[in-house]
This record gives sequence, C-alpha cells and structure tokens, in this order.
Amino acid sequence: MSENARNRLLLALSIVMAAIYLFPLYWMYVTALKSGSEMFATPPSFWPSSAQWSTFAYVWESRNMGRYLWNSTVIAFGAVALIAMLGTGCAYVLARYRNIWVDIGLFLILMFQVLPASLMITPIFVGFSQLGLLEYPRLAVILAITAKSMPFFVVLVRATFMAVPMELEEAALVDGNSRIGAFLNIVLPLARNGILVSAILIFMQAFGEFVYSKSMIQDIQLQPASVGLNSFMGPNTSEWNNIMAYATMYVTPILAIFVLLQRRIVSGLTSGALK
Amino acid sequence: MKRVFSSITDGRGFDLVLVGVPFTFLLALSGLPLLYNILMSFQEVDMFSLGSVIRPFVGFRNYLDLFTQPETVSILKNTIVFVVGSITGQFLVGFALALFFWINFPGASWLRGLFLVSWVMPGLVVGAIWNWILSGDFGVLNFLLQQTGLMSSNIFWRSDPNFSLWAVILANIWLGTSFNMILLATGLSAIPADLYEAAEMDGANAWQRFWTITLPMMRSTIGAIIALGLIFTLQQFDLFAAITDGGPNNSSNVAQYWAWDLSFRQYDFGKGATISVIMTVFVMFAATVYVRSTRHEVRG
Amino acid sequence: MTHQIELSAVNKYYGAYHALKDIDLSIPKGSFVALVGPSGCGKSTLLRSLAGLETISSGDLVIAGKRMNGVPPRKRDLAMVFQSYALYPHMTVEQNLTYSLKINGVRKAERKRAAADVAAITGLSNLLHRYPRELSGGQRQRVAMSRAIIRNPQAFLFDEPLSNLDAALRVHMRKEIRALHDRLGATSVYVTHDQVEAMTMADHVVVMRNGVIEQQGKPLDLYDRPTNRFVAGFIGSPAMNFIPARSTPDGRALVLDLAEPQTVPFDCPLPAERALIVGIRPEHLTLAGADAAGFKVGVAAVETTGAVTFITTATTPEIVVALNGRAAVMAGETIRLTFAGGDVHLFDAETDQRIK
Repeated sequence: MSENARNRLLLALSIVMAAIYLFPLYWMYVTALKSGSEMFATPPSFWPSSAQWSTFAYVWESRNMGRYLWNSTVIAFGAVALIAMLGTGCAYVLARYRNIWVDIGLFLILMFQVLPASLMITPIFVGFSQLGLLEYPRLAVILAITAKSMPFFVVLVRATFMAVPMELEEAALVDGNSRIGAFLNIVLPLARNGILVSAILIFMQAFGEFVYSKSMIQDIQLQPASVGLNSFMGPNTSEWNNIMAYATMYVTPILAIFVLLQRRIVSGLTSGALK
Repeated sequence: MKRVFSSITDGRGFDLVLVGVPFTFLLALSGLPLLYNILMSFQEVDMFSLGSVIRPFVGFRNYLDLFTQPETVSILKNTIVFVVGSITGQFLVGFALALFFWINFPGASWLRGLFLVSWVMPGLVVGAIWNWILSGDFGVLNFLLQQTGLMSSNIFWRSDPNFSLWAVILANIWLGTSFNMILLATGLSAIPADLYEAAEMDGANAWQRFWTITLPMMRSTIGAIIALGLIFTLQQFDLFAAITDGGPNNSSNVAQYWAWDLSFRQYDFGKGATISVIMTVFVMFAATVYVRSTRHEVRG
Repeated sequence: MTHQIELSAVNKYYGAYHALKDIDLSIPKGSFVALVGPSGCGKSTLLRSLAGLETISSGDLVIAGKRMNGVPPRKRDLAMVFQSYALYPHMTVEQNLTYSLKINGVRKAERKRAAADVAAITGLSNLLHRYPRELSGGQRQRVAMSRAIIRNPQAFLFDEPLSNLDAALRVHMRKEIRALHDRLGATSVYVTHDQVEAMTMADHVVVMRNGVIEQQGKPLDLYDRPTNRFVAGFIGSPAMNFIPARSTPDGRALVLDLAEPQTVPFDCPLPAERALIVGIRPEHLTLAGADAAGFKVGVAAVETTGAVTFITTATTPEIVVALNGRAAVMAGETIRLTFAGGDVHLFDAETDQRIK
C-alpha cells in the first residue's frame, strides 16, 4: 500500500471515529432543528425534514436567554479578570525560582485546585451569608470561582513563564529596568500568548459554572445560563427540541472559540497538566 | 519606607507582593472554608443557626448519624462504582484513541484536538444532551441498540434504579475520554523513537514493543492520569444535576452530590459539611498521589 | 593608576554553599580582565555579582569610585553580553540596540542615530530592521555586542560570549572583540572556561577554582610562573606533565618516579632530599642526543598534525611530548627525553604549591 493510500485510509478511519465521538453534539443540533412531532418519531430521523429555525427565536424570547447569557458573561469576565490579575504574578514567581518555598507553594496551589466545588460550597455559602456577601450574589460567585480556578490558571501560566529565558529578564535589568519594568516590558509580552490561552480556558469553565451559581444566586434576574438550563429541564419535560435549542445557543460560542484556537488550547493544556 | 519601596521595585519585595496577594486570597477563600467545614461538621447547623459561628456543639454525632443512615452505605458504594467505572472507561477508550492517533498521518493532530470539545463544554449542557440521548421511549441510544440487535426492549436509563448510575457514568466517560486521550498522546510522543527502533532490531514484534517499551515508559504518565481522573470524577456534579438528580431513590446518588443535597435541599449544613470533610480527605489523598507520580517533572 | 572596579574580601553564600571566598580583585580603567576556571569555579557568580544580578554576602564592591553592594543592576551603569545573547525576541535589532537608551529617556531621533553609529562599527547596518530569529549565530553575537557598546558604560561584562559559535568564527571574534575594546578604550571583564581565549585576549588573567582566586597576573606570567599545580595544569595546551620525583641528598639531581626510578642531573639548585612534583610542559621536552643526560621512556602513541608531533609515553603517569616538525619515532620504541632546568616547575608534593 502506498504512503498516500495509507494516509487517506487512516484519515477516513479517524473521521469516522470523530463522528461517532461527536455524535451527541450532532444530536443536539439536529434535535434543536426538529419540530415537536418529528422529535418523538420512531424511528428517529437523523436529518430534520424541515428545519425549524423559529425555535431559536422562540426559546430566546420565552426563556429570556439574553439575560441569562449576560449574567454568565458578567460572571465569567469578572472571574477571569480577577484570576488573571492575581494569578499571573503568582505564576511568574513560582516559575522564576526553584527552592523549598516554591515547592511548598506549588503543593498548596495543587491542593486548592483539586477541592471539588460541590464540597466547598457548604462552608463558602455559610461563610458568605454570615459576611453578608450573598447580598451581592454575582460577586459572591465570582469570588468563589476565582478561588476554585485560579490554581489551574497558575499551573498553566507557570509553564508559559518557564519557557521565557531568565537571561532576557537579566539583560533587561542590566539595560536599566527595575524589576517591575523588566516584568512589564520583557517577560509579560513574551508570555502573552500563553496567558491569553489560559484565560480563555478559564473563561470557558466559568461560563459553564453551575454549582456555585445554583447555590448562591436565588434571584432569577441574576442567574447565569447554566442555572437557567437546569430550571428549564423539569423532571418530566418533553420540550427536548426547545432545550436543545437553548443548549445550542449556550455552547456554540464556546465551541467556536475552541475550534478557532484549538491548537493553542491543546498545547497549553498539555504543557500545564503534566508538568 | 524608602527601603520597602525600593525592595518592591528592585528586590525580593517584588516577588513577595506578587505571590503574597494571591496566596492570601486563596487562603481566605479556600483555606478558611476548609477549616470552617471541619468546625461545622462538629456542630448542628440549620437555617436558624446559619448566622452565628457559635452553634450547638454535637461532637461526632454528625459522623455517627451518617453511618447509621440506611442510604449511606449504598451512596458510598455508588461513589466507588462511579469513580472506578468512569476512570476505567475514560482511560481505556482514551488510551485506545491515543494509540490510534499516535500513527502519524496528515490531519491527525487537528482531529485529535477536536475530540476535546467534550471537555470544554459546560457540564450541564453535556448532561442535558445525554439526558435526551438516554431517554427511555424516544432516546436515540435505545433505538441504535435495538437496531444493532444488542437488546430487544428499551432500557429506561434514567428511571430504572439498575441503570441510573450507569447513565451518568456513560455521560462522564464521554466527557472525560478526550482529556485522557490528549494527555496520554502527549506521554506517547515523549517516548524516544529510537527505543522502538532498537527494540525492533532486537526482534520484538508490535505487541511485545507495547508491553516492554510503551507501558513501562508511560508509567508515570498513567499514574498521573489515573490520579487526575480520580480528582475529576470526584468533582463531577453537573451531570448528576442534569441527568438523574441522584434518583430514583438515591440509586444514582454519590457522595459529592449528596453533600450538596444535604446542605441545600435538606438544609442540614452540619451533615453536608461532614460528608465534605470525609470526601476532601480522599481528594487530597488523590492529589498527593498525583504529585508523587509527576514529581520528577514538577522539580525538573 | 585609577581602578574602575575594586572588590575587597567579597564573599557569596548560597545557603550553606560558599560560592565566592574572600575575593580581592582590582581592575584598572581600560584593561581587559579574563576570569577563567573550570565550571563551578565561581567565575560566573563573580561576574553576576558585579552586574548586580547576584547580591554579595559580605565585602566591598566599588565601581567607578562608588560602593555598589546593594545597588540594583539598573543603577550600576554596566553592560553585559550574555552567553545566550539574551536578545529580546519581540524587538527588531534596532529596538534591541536602543532599548536601554529608551528606558533612560533618550529621544527617538538620537536613539536612531546612536543605533546607526554602532551598527556601522559592528557591520549590522543592513540588519537593523530584522528580528533576532532571522539572524545567524554570528550576527546575533554582534547584536549582543552592539547592545552593550551603545551604552558607553562604566565597564563591559562578557559571560562566555563565544561559546555558542563554531570554532572558526570563535577565533575570528576573539580578535574582533579585543580590537573593539582597544578602540573604545573600554574596561572589560570577560568570563570564559577556555584558557586559550583568556590568554590571547586579556591583559590580566584571573584563574579561579572552588570560589577562590588561585592566581592572577599577566597571561605570560601565569604561563611562566604558575603558583601552584592547579594553575600550571590549567594554563597551556596541551596540559603540563606532572611527574612525582625526589631530589637527591646533594640537591644536584632528580629521581623521577616513573615505572623504574630514573635519575636525571639537574643544573639549578634544589632543596635536598624532598618529595616533589616536577612540572614540565610538552613543548619543553626534547629528544636527548646519544651522549646527553636524559631519561628513558617507552612510546605508546605518536600523533602528528604536520607542524607538530605529539608523543604519548607508555609510562605512569603518562607524559606528552610536543616536538616541532616531524620526528622519526614509532609506537613501541624506547626513546630518551631531556629538558632544560630553567623550563622545569617544581611543586611541593604535599601542598602542590610552587617551590622557588
């Protein structure tokens, strides 16, 4: 078999595998486009007979999705901004030195990273309610997400900083920079891409966050899209085409970002997770 | 004052500020809650005593109560089944895919990366999709299984207590497989090619090369991935909320979901905290295993 | 003579590790000083301490008359050329060159002129708008040099700047750096592990080992009068031969401790009856004439470059002989070697220190 034919066969095989793996995603899109009766047809159709685009507008209006997505965006942006502000410097210091204190710091970071949100929510909820923070529920969720996700950000960005040669910073110091100047003028610009990719990953996580929002935000006006989806799915719902339309509008922006930046996200993720 | 300032612009002070602020934040928002959790697990905390720190002290009663409750044993068993089932499935499928994509052909790395969409999607959306796929009468999975002749009658995945936990496990395997695959692929590509060439010269066939070169060289990666899998499965919450809600009758409930349920549905924060403390110990144990298996990489 | 850089009793600790031990060093204005030694000897730590990238634990560091102990690098007015060149990858050559000027508030027009001037000296004029990744190794090295020159600093610090170049380019750049130094009338401190670089470029060579300055002085002084066995073995290539020996009771001959003891008459005064190490450079050994005094050795290997023939003996310790031109010697033969008393270095067998 020639090299070319082999490659084509492998490519076809892998596309089939990807198609099987990504079938649930396809099913979401197809269901969203089906009519109420077609959805429950047996056998199910794998291609909508007449695409019901109006479902999207209907769901957007009736579920007030604009508000939900806005809240999700506010929470995600708030968390990413706070995480980037606090986490970048931390990652830089943990990348720059190797000593026992850095090892201890990394261990602590890891321990904070692995704490499950569903276990931490009990003390955070009680503590926040005592501090009166639940009066500002979105802020409370932003703070909780920051504590949960910053360690992951630090681990990813640290790997980026490790790739910036120490001599560059030293050269900048000898050239007349203060530590702050060298950090801002030389180190940060060189680590910019890695920081950006990590921030996008954190944004995607925060955009879909559920436990904290569900537990701390009672006011429907302030709830994010994940909580909205949860309340949409009652135990005996039959509106699956509407729910899938909701899900489609919720995840498509995230999927678009991911597909566009896929290479960078994957390499950023692998460099951080195993090192 | 001037010395402090110049230390911040030119010396160690700069590092201390950069690292001090985030750690203070983390200790306040993760460290303190951890301790507070332990305190609450020895107290009676309900809606009325929520506002005060000094609450009735009950010693180990929360712990004892939990272990005399009838559902405890089954929930703990569910947790173990969920963790072992999810990790096994994610790892085996992930490893198989990683080995396949390890063969180099044009487009391999891009297609491989595409799998990761399952991991970046919000857990609740993944749960919603699988809820629909696993639906009893109209679910596409039941249809496909009957068409291929694998079964004769519909399985009510979400409402049959024999299957409800497996419904969540299935969704969780789908969610986590791609992450396993990507990390395993990274580990595979780190094995030097000349080892395989040398083994081939020594007469090892593909099967023997896998067992004598690939697996031993991947040992620390595999250890790290299993530990990460343990950490991630113990964090899984959204799928339960979206697919079975722990039911029917706790048949798909697991410890981390139960902890939340006790606190936020039954308003027994003391018991919720107690479960959390117990589970936190497990998670930290898994994290320590992870650190140990990646230590040579962590310290360079 | 004014001193541009003065170190007195400088010590540096990393935790319990004593990296620099009581370093005293004076560097006159306009001189070229090389710090040389095996890796881990402290030469780079010393250079980085001058730059301010490491803080010294005790002692005094004075640059251009000012005590600089705790002063951050940016206030020391020194320029440094790094081993990896440390060119800022996100800046063009011109931006790299003028970065320090920009930080110090020099106007743009003036910066451009300065860059053009320096580029003309170092031959970078048509590369100013390239990025470092588009340059060859030699060109990057020039950019690193130019970036230092443009500053007109109190002193230049070089941290093994040639070690990433290939051999031919290295020899060429050696001369070029020295020529630049002379032309600018600069003060330079140059770290290298290559003693040939140190010998050929520097006015003043400082040999270090384990954080201690073993010897410092003019290159040929170090070659001619090494104060101990380490310096003797480090300076010169191929390295000096060391043969354990004993002086005779009358102090007029040496008994060399080769496989069988061999007595060689010695025409300079010797301390009587003492255990010694005889140091003799390969180029100072010659084949002995039939009637001249000498000692017998078996030949293990003969290598020739055409201009020089190297003979390695079958003795313990092995002796290397460098003969000009070609020699009709074959492996397996036995030959007789001799040397002039004035070329011999004597070291105490116990302390390894030079004996007068």
